[in-house]
Amino acid sequence: MNSSHYESDTHALEARLAARLAGSLTAVAQAVPHDISERLRVAREQAVKRAGLARESALVLAPAVGFSAAGAAVLVGFGAWRQRFAVAMPLVVLIAGLVAIGHFTAREQVLTIADIDAQLLSDTLPPSAYSDPGFAEFLRTPPPLQ
Amino acid sequence: MPLATDKELSDFLKSVEKRAFKRAVYAVRNDDAALDIVQDAMIRLAEKYADRPAAELPLVFQRILSNATMDWFRREKVRGAVMQNLSEFSSGGEDDDFDLLETLHALEDTLGTESAADAVSRAQILRIVDAAVSDLPARQREAFLLRYWEEFDVSETAEVMGCSQGSVKTHCSRAVQALAKALKIKGITP
Repeated sequence: MNSSHYESDTHALEARLAARLAGSLTAVAQAVPHDISERLRVAREQAVKRAGLARESALVLAPAVGFSAAGAAVLVGFGAWRQRFAVAMPLVVLIAGLVAIGHFTAREQVLTIADIDAQLLSDTLPPSAYSDPGFAEFLRTPPPLQ
Repeated sequence: MPLATDKELSDFLKSVEKRAFKRAVYAVRNDDAALDIVQDAMIRLAEKYADRPAAELPLVFQRILSNATMDWFRREKVRGAVMQNLSEFSSGGEDDDFDLLETLHALEDTLGTESAADAVSRAQILRIVDAAVSDLPARQREAFLLRYWEEFDVSETAEVMGCSQGSVKTHCSRAVQALAKALKIKGITP
């Protein structure tokens, strides 16, 4: 117990002396020569100017790609409608692609059927011949061996 | 938390610039180099941390100043010479506490008064304190200046210095003991 009491006294004494010494150092620092004070003032003004420039350039670069907390890329600085547009755009392109593929397939089927019809109609054999049972049997019968 | 405005940044730098200069002078022992270091630290703070809240500026600036000082040593390649100065003082004991008390009384007697008769003595003591701080080992001086001059707490000091809180306490204690001893050697006794 005496030991801890002694230790706290030592720390308190050190803190008091340190505070006095720090006060002395402040007086020392305030007494720097005038030319150094001026150079520090100029450095400070330059720094504040640079800070202004840094803020301006940050504003110009604001609509750049940033990262959300989840790690996904999001657009920073654009309006909410532009963000929604950016999200919807790939979906619109996908749907348009599917519609175009469907339309192309249907057109191909129509053209194929039209081609078959055209060949049937232009043949010397009338289309009604295909409904004749005798002709159907003729088609199923293999040709005689030579 | 609101971001620092130009005025807040300017006021902060104005409040800290002379202490920063002295801290750099203690480290590099050259006024021109110290000015370069402080200017470098100010520019780095302004360009990279101008968007931080004003409350964060003191800690960030001291860290930048420490880094700028280390960069200067790296450039000058004299760090080895400085490290030679890292002699450790003996650990504290009852006699050291007596020294502390004597030194504290002497400082309070001399610096606490403003009479004309004490003016010269006061200036002399300031010079002696200045020299004693300058002669401290680098890490002890840094811990002492951050903890008691910049008034950072132990954890903040440890963060700036990149060491443990226990190390900060040890450095600070040894620094105060060493300063008391140095002042006593210079004849500052009641």
